[in-house]
Amino acid sequence: TSEASETQATDRDDVVVAPLSEKYPKPDSEKMSIEIVSLAFYPEAEVMSDEKVKQVYVEYRFYDLPLSETETPVSLRKPRAGEEIHFHFSKVIDLDPLEQQGRRQFLFDMLQAQNPEQRHLKFTVVSDPMDEEAKDCEEVGYVYLELWQILESGRDIIEQELEIVSPEDQDVAIGRLKVSLKAAAALHSIYQEMIEDLL
Amino acid sequence: MGEPEALVPDSGAVFTFGKTKFAENMPSKFWFKNDIPMYLSCGDEHSAVVTGNNKLYMFGSNNWGQLGLGSKSTVNKPTCVKALKPEKVQLAACGRNHTLVLTVEGSVYAAGGNNEGQLGLGDTEERNTFHRISFFTSQHNIKQLSAGSNTSAALSEDGRLFVWGDNSEGQIGLNNIINVCVPHQVNIGKPISWVACGYYHSAFVTMDGELYTFGESESGKLGLPKELLINHRTPQLVAGIPEKVIQVACGGGHTVVLTEKAVYAFGLGQFGQLGLGTFLFETSEPKVIEQIKDQKITYISCGENHTALITDKGLVYTFGDGRHGKLGLGVENFTNQFFPIVCSEFLRFTVQLVACGGCQTLVFASPRINVVGESNFNE
Ligand SMILES: [Mg+2]
Ligand SMILES: [Mg+2]
Repeated sequence: TSEASETQATDRDDVVVAPLSEKYPKPDSEKMSIEIVSLAFYPEAEVMSDEKVKQVYVEYRFYDLPLSETETPVSLRKPRAGEEIHFHFSKVIDLDPLEQQGRRQFLFDMLQAQNPEQRHLKFTVVSDPMDEEAKDCEEVGYVYLELWQILESGRDIIEQELEIVSPEDQDVAIGRLKVSLKAAAALHSIYQEMIEDLL
Repeated sequence: MGEPEALVPDSGAVFTFGKTKFAENMPSKFWFKNDIPMYLSCGDEHSAVVTGNNKLYMFGSNNWGQLGLGSKSTVNKPTCVKALKPEKVQLAACGRNHTLVLTVEGSVYAAGGNNEGQLGLGDTEERNTFHRISFFTSQHNIKQLSAGSNTSAALSEDGRLFVWGDNSEGQIGLNNIINVCVPHQVNIGKPISWVACGYYHSAFVTMDGELYTFGESESGKLGLPKELLINHRTPQLVAGIPEKVIQVACGGGHTVVLTEKAVYAFGLGQFGQLGLGTFLFETSEPKVIEQIKDQKITYISCGENHTALITDKGLVYTFGDGRHGKLGLGVENFTNQFFPIVCSEFLRFTVQLVACGGCQTLVFASPRINVVGESNFNE
């Protein structure tokens, strides 16, 4: 059938609606979305007085995805005391059961891992030097998100504030990162699928 | 799969982005058989299209009856307001939860939320159908309407400004009143050429090109120095703009101004809605948006936290809060934009109208006539 024949028109109003793309929306069990919402540093945190840190961005790593797709596209001015900076950087990750087995396995491994180091999705807050010639970007904080809590509760994470810890001493919290992670349906489906394979 | 623009008729289509309630909030488009859009307006969660045949189509959230369709249920497809059909609709203005309509005959109608008298009907009862505001007759010769968060404004051809609704923050510019349920004139002794109601602040432009702002004074959105904020309930001249002002648009916490030479922005920019980059998240001093200085801008629109600009070449730039895809820059991956960015979807179109709302943007655009070398593109 031609696309034109799929357009719907009501007799009465003469409104013609273009057909929706067949690609979207994908079922919730075949995708997840990650949003880096906003970031704030604690006023007393060392990073606040560090003159070298002028602007920051946030990144995470996800299996085969290039960093260019999983880091915030912009660096924002370091937040002032009591201020939040807003990225609203959201990405949908395709978890198609046929085409993205690798990503599904990666998530399953994360859910199953015994080693706490491998159980979470890690976000890194990075200082982006203003001067092009300055040395490399410096990591100023880490954020850990346990995926298990989503599987266990069956609930997506919506704008949850997570502690940012210092790379030097991970017991020291330096601020908070707000993230959303919509993955409950996909994690449930992945877990069911993988457990069945194991039995 | 053919090119998406191959579907759009030569007369163009209305493109929808963000939480429109239309097409499951996916980027989509619609058009009319034998009719074309002439005017677009977006409220917080509802939208209006006025056509060349003077019909009014509404869709979106309807909790207050703001669609004027006689019910309060959400409408997920553009729907003609039949009750107004005997009248020819010329303009519409969507506020946060109400809608104003101007007819060719010069009547003004209102529907929706009315808790502050923003319908102008003399009371504070909400209406889910359009009711005529008896204050206005064809003698008023209204040429522009604007609606904010429980505020309403109408501007006449000869430059008289009428306002009604919520004045708790001075956002309709009547100094001593908390709210008014019928239109009142705001007179600063000069004719006015443009009016814009934001969420809790408002602005107008005089025929001689001056900008005045009033209402909630926080976060620099009035564009005034601190010492003048005490008088925020009265329209005050924004002196920080040297050229002649043509248009103004007000969002939730920001204000954007089109002059003869440039586009200025001030207020809150924490999501990028000022288009002034990644270091300036608030300013009370009007600043030129340098990135589009080489473009001739013909129209500006502000949503709650985002902004859109149309150029004389028929391109549209957006910036600000990217949530829900309302910047028109993608289908499922979004991010805030801190500088104006051209919507590449419309490079092959001529953008004619744009309207930004709380969580959505509407664009009316028609395919560009094929230039030499591209004539076989769709074959
Ligand atoms: Mg509006
Ligand atoms: Mg928002």
